[in-house]
Amino acid sequence: MTPTDLIGPASSLGSPAPYWFLVFFKVLGFILHMIPMSLWYAGILLALLLRWRGGEFGRLWSARLMKQMPLWVALGVNFGIVPLLFTQVSYYQVFYPATILMAWFWFSVILLLTLAYYGVYIYAYGLKEGQTLTPFRRVAGWISAIFFIAIGFLFSNAFSLMTNLGGWPALAEKTGYAGAVFGTALNTADATLWPRWLMFFGLALTTTGAYAFVDAGVFARKESDAYRRTWAGSFALKIYTLGMLWFAFFGSWYVFGTWPTEIRLVMFAMPLGILTVLTGVSPGLVWVCLWLFRKSVGKGTALLVALAQFVVLALNAVSRQIVQNLELKKFLDITAEPVKIQLSPIILFLLLFVFGVAVVVWMVRKIIAVEGKPAAAGS
Amino acid sequence: MHYPWWYVPFLNAPMLIAAIAVLHVLVSHYAVGGGLFLAVETSFAYKTKNTNYLAYLRQHAWFFILITVVYGAITGVGIWWTIGLASPLATETLIHAFVFGWAMEYVFFVLEVVSAFIFYYYWGRLDSKTHTAIGWIYAGAAWISLVLITGITAFMLHPGSWPESKNFWAGFFNPQFVPQVLSRTGGSFLLASLYVYLHAAFKVKDPAMRDMIAARSARPALLGSILIVLGGVGWFLFLPESAKAALAAASTLNIMMAIIFALTIGVFLLLYFGPYKNPGWLTPGFAIVLFVMGLSAFSTGEFVREAVRKPFILYNVVLGNQVLAEEVPALKANGYLESGNWLRAHVAARFPQTLEDGKINEAKLLELPRENQLELGEMLFQYACNNCHATKNGMSAASHLMRGWTVAMIRTVSREPEKMHFFMPPWAGTPEESELLTQYLISIAPAHPAGMYFGEEQ
Repeated sequence: MTPTDLIGPASSLGSPAPYWFLVFFKVLGFILHMIPMSLWYAGILLALLLRWRGGEFGRLWSARLMKQMPLWVALGVNFGIVPLLFTQVSYYQVFYPATILMAWFWFSVILLLTLAYYGVYIYAYGLKEGQTLTPFRRVAGWISAIFFIAIGFLFSNAFSLMTNLGGWPALAEKTGYAGAVFGTALNTADATLWPRWLMFFGLALTTTGAYAFVDAGVFARKESDAYRRTWAGSFALKIYTLGMLWFAFFGSWYVFGTWPTEIRLVMFAMPLGILTVLTGVSPGLVWVCLWLFRKSVGKGTALLVALAQFVVLALNAVSRQIVQNLELKKFLDITAEPVKIQLSPIILFLLLFVFGVAVVVWMVRKIIAVEGKPAAAGS
Repeated sequence: MHYPWWYVPFLNAPMLIAAIAVLHVLVSHYAVGGGLFLAVETSFAYKTKNTNYLAYLRQHAWFFILITVVYGAITGVGIWWTIGLASPLATETLIHAFVFGWAMEYVFFVLEVVSAFIFYYYWGRLDSKTHTAIGWIYAGAAWISLVLITGITAFMLHPGSWPESKNFWAGFFNPQFVPQVLSRTGGSFLLASLYVYLHAAFKVKDPAMRDMIAARSARPALLGSILIVLGGVGWFLFLPESAKAALAAASTLNIMMAIIFALTIGVFLLLYFGPYKNPGWLTPGFAIVLFVMGLSAFSTGEFVREAVRKPFILYNVVLGNQVLAEEVPALKANGYLESGNWLRAHVAARFPQTLEDGKINEAKLLELPRENQLELGEMLFQYACNNCHATKNGMSAASHLMRGWTVAMIRTVSREPEKMHFFMPPWAGTPEESELLTQYLISIAPAHPAGMYFGEEQ
């Protein structure tokens, strides 16, 4: 059984849009997804630890983040749909087999996510005025934290297995039954899995640190100056430092310990070498910003940090996409699928996309306008 | 066979789709109708300056968010998860045909989530005009989502001229589009009222307020029932012939249709004589009965809608056993095992002696020892039959269906299943492969039940 034998035929319908168009939305969606996803992936665990062992401000930060968490989970799930949709258009020949091999684990994401999401609501409700964080609510919070990390592990499995075609025959044989599969495989034998999963946790920690700064500068205007101007900046820097070191350690393991030579050769040659280096060092630039601004937390500095972290995530997403294609190249050229363009649906989608963004902007402007105003009648 | 087959013992993988899908639609329709309820009623409450009603609506909005934004959104994504696992070829085809339909739907989904959160979390902070406008944005976005998704799900039952033209719009505006939009819109109105009754019956203590909620929500519910019936009639009229035949032939579907009619009439009468004429009837017990009846009718309807497509997942395009209808002749000529990537690879690894010039020699398959032939037969069963039939026990188990069959009968159903039952897919392999399947089926078919008396032989 050779890996390429296991790749099914390309769809006779052809790609409905050029590859660049699809991958643009795939990567954009992934970047947007990574922001809230990082907050639930590393942020919940951190918030619960600080609730347990943090000081006064640590507990305040924990409560602030967890009160916002239902919204972050909603946005994260929502933004996650985009990369999932476009992955299935362009990478279906490898995405479906990989997820079918680990079907029960992949299927369990639905249950884990539902429980984790409700757990967040249960915990957050205990933070409302007049409510208390009962042991039940605290347990719900911890279950959410564990389940979100488990979901991250399963995603790392699925997307590493998607490119680890060399591992498919053995997994199919090991977890197969009468030529079919039980769906109980995991990609744990793949050397890239562990550093990828752990590296991403480090990246999520950096985003959580950056967000702590942004929250203090933009949203926490009602909190004390001691919290905003003294504690939050220094806390954000500490978390960011931890995340950056973590990211550097596991990222180095991933790049230098698991990338095959042919990928390293491409990713470190010009012009991609610039991208690789920028991806690796970009968290350092945010760290410098946080260090410089640690005592001057404000709207302007917060927006600068947010923008810088967005660039970090964007660089990671773009690099990841290029590596993914390189990993697949020896088996399948994703970009070679014939295009049968669906022009009028694309145009309508783009028009609706612009319309949708305009309506969201209108709604956000309305809420920005009322922020800080007293409650109106009718509540 | 383009993809590995996920073997789920007892239940069969596609049943997981049904489970998730039914759980989803019961909430997704509330997400549409409930949005309209909140928009209409909040406008009304502001207009009449009814602060008590506004307070109730705020409570309901919280309940609505917990149900729809959390559970509804995740089960919606869950359908994607499950169809990709259990019906990968159909999913591949759908997504190639309609990715921009889903992308458009996604735009409205974003609007739904953002507006729902703002509507609830900024309650009392936004002026009434802006607040109701945001409620209406939610309602409009949710209904357009329904329309976009329905175009695609209706396509699965009747793709219209799409198989010839492969045109997006030909597939989207298919013969089932209008009937299904009507019935789903009606279903949204009806289900939303049932959710409102359930919530209000437990939460509202003031009888006058409860009566008002009962009366106001009865009209959209009754209108919803009428739309469901109109859409249902259209659905039946525009069904493909095979689907109509399946409805007439399958006793399970007959019973289910009877249940749907009985429950729909029951719900209509209870709504008319209850909340519409006698709002005071709304008690927790009454609301639960209505809710359970409505949900039962809805779930049964969804099940029937799925079942009548057999043997297709996408009518005339993709068969239930993950084969493209257009590739059946080639599979018959070249062999099912040879043509399926995962099957061919498995045979090559397990029985290399059957290969000749890198291809499977069908004649050699029948020269293998009996236990190997049974193994290959079971493999064929997994890929060609397990989407509907469990093996020895479980969902529509082949073993029990063939109890007491003669070898000739089993051979016939292996070779020409579509002639035995028109709602089964045709055999898409060579006669040798059909023989392997026959041998396997014979090995699992139990004997005719003993002790049955049919009179004395003369």
